Amino acid sequence: MSASVLFDDLGPRGRRNVRIGSGVGGLFVLGLIVLGLQRMAANGQLEADRWAIVFDPRTGVPQSLGRALIVTLQAAGAAMLFATLLGAILAFGRLSDHAALRVPVSVVVEFFRAIPLVILILFLFLGARPVLGLDLPRFWTLVLGLVLYNMAVLCEIIRAGILSIDRGQSEAAYALGMRKSQVLVSILLPQAVRRMLPALVSQLVVLLKDTSLGFIIAYPELLQQARNIINFFGSQYSLQLYVAAAGIYIIVNFLLSTIAHQLEKRVNRSGRIAAGATVIAGANEDQTLAAVARDNG
Amino acid sequence: MSELVVQALRKSFGPTEVLAGIDLTVPSGSLAAVLGPSGCGKTTLLRIVAGFERPDDGAVELAGRTVASRSVDLPPEKRRIGIVPQEGALFPHLSVDRNVGYGLRRGADRGRVAEVLELVGLAGYGDRMPHELSGGQQQRVAVARALAPRPSLILLDEPFSSLDTGLRAEVRADVRAALSADGATAVLVTHDQEEALSTADLVAVMRAGRMVQAASPRGLYLAPADLGVANFVGDTVLLDGTLSGRCAVTALGALAVRAPMPAGSAVRVVVRPEQLVLTADGDGVSARVRDQVFFGHDALVHLELSDGAVVTARSLDAAWAQPGLDVRLAVRGEVTCFSSQ
Repeated sequence: MSASVLFDDLGPRGRRNVRIGSGVGGLFVLGLIVLGLQRMAANGQLEADRWAIVFDPRTGVPQSLGRALIVTLQAAGAAMLFATLLGAILAFGRLSDHAALRVPVSVVVEFFRAIPLVILILFLFLGARPVLGLDLPRFWTLVLGLVLYNMAVLCEIIRAGILSIDRGQSEAAYALGMRKSQVLVSILLPQAVRRMLPALVSQLVVLLKDTSLGFIIAYPELLQQARNIINFFGSQYSLQLYVAAAGIYIIVNFLLSTIAHQLEKRVNRSGRIAAGATVIAGANEDQTLAAVARDNG
Repeated sequence: MSELVVQALRKSFGPTEVLAGIDLTVPSGSLAAVLGPSGCGKTTLLRIVAGFERPDDGAVELAGRTVASRSVDLPPEKRRIGIVPQEGALFPHLSVDRNVGYGLRRGADRGRVAEVLELVGLAGYGDRMPHELSGGQQQRVAVARALAPRPSLILLDEPFSSLDTGLRAEVRADVRAALSADGATAVLVTHDQEEALSTADLVAVMRAGRMVQAASPRGLYLAPADLGVANFVGDTVLLDGTLSGRCAVTALGALAVRAPMPAGSAVRVVVRPEQLVLTADGDGVSARVRDQVFFGHDALVHLELSDGAVVTARSLDAAWAQPGLDVRLAVRGEVTCFSSQ
């Protein structure tokens, strides 16, 4: 983040205080880590054969985690696709001039945004058959829960992105004889996507992490699979397997963020940069979106 | 024919009356400038004509069709109006060609894109992206984009205000030429009197939501409707005087008055600085040079009259008029008077 208008740069004394604070804080954290490792070593948690189970193919654990990763990615991929599509459609609905469309869409969005995801998934799992008369497999139960919640969040991100585009853009397009839907698709959305990409990606990362809620309905995703393996091999391997599952999440999400970052750089490089004035006008919204992204991430 | 007629237009935002009954007629094919200080309502007028705001009362008629009134509200996309906004508002993700061609129907004559780009002096720039263009070029593209679908009317909202002074005059002249070459009817909104006078066929001065005067640039400058307009459209020298026949008697002598007024009345006399002729020993009253401000193309000389009043003369060659020098000061041409009451 470059120099902000809201905060003065620190003077020499301020910088010194920050350095001292960082040093003390760093030492404290380091101390905690050392302490933790000591305790783990005392309990035998750091012994090589405890960790070997995660890496040794003869145990079947790596294969099992690999399958769980694929199953997780399947659910996440399907949920991302549908949530983004529905989110975009809902965003268009919320931006409609017609109250008959705007109001119900707003109600739906606010409803699903407010419900905790766990409750949504549990309801779909327990209530789908008796209440809705649906026979949902576990996969679709999880995907549907993720889609319903995330489409509402993504709707708001997309709507904010579209609203952040300078009014002059849509007015210029209207004056050229374009209908609202044409302006939305050909002028506003392409620019909004560029601007909201960081917020969009961080929400998709959240979605990927939330697939772990599949364990409450015994969907064999990473977390559930790790629990199954622990049940099979015994609880002395709990730490190792949870760490392995967390490690896989971290790697996958890191890859996702990296891909998004590359994509963002390419979009910027290919010259799709708003004219100077538009960028300045949108700067605040950019920061808002970035803040949303940080909060969610 | 694409005449624009605005009748008795009113618009309030909450308790603030922004337009208090505006009338304006722009003949087909001409360029009108709406001139006024910021906050006078000129941009609101433009937005109502474009269809982005609804008027509270009054009507907008374009090419013989009512597009806005109490009962009619044609959406902007159906008004056949081209807009050139302040910062151009080019679509940043589309090339120049696609920006300009955006308003043309699919399968329409693509030659029109090249034609209007040629018109604004940007032939061959079609493949560039907007951010690869300079500010002046972006404004030219914005004009080409507005012209392309052959709209009935083009609205320009302070389109040159973001450009450097030198560039501004050049882009202005080219845009003016492009508009008239295409036979477009246009309304230019500006707070820059020089821009209005040099670009438009008709200048309409707005003040506090009212149309004060609409006239040709020359008519406006030479015969302003009131003191406010006189001050707004150019530099003035203000003198008190008394009318006597077709002359106003002032500290600068008896000056010929343009429009007759009742004799004997006390008046404020408006003289333009370039009407004051400075000589070493010619005609006129005597005055003493105080100082001068040099602009390159000319200079403003401040002079003190015998009664202590200070007047300003614009002079092309004033190098000799050193401070403290006694000179002669005469008035060339007719002056404008307003009643003192």
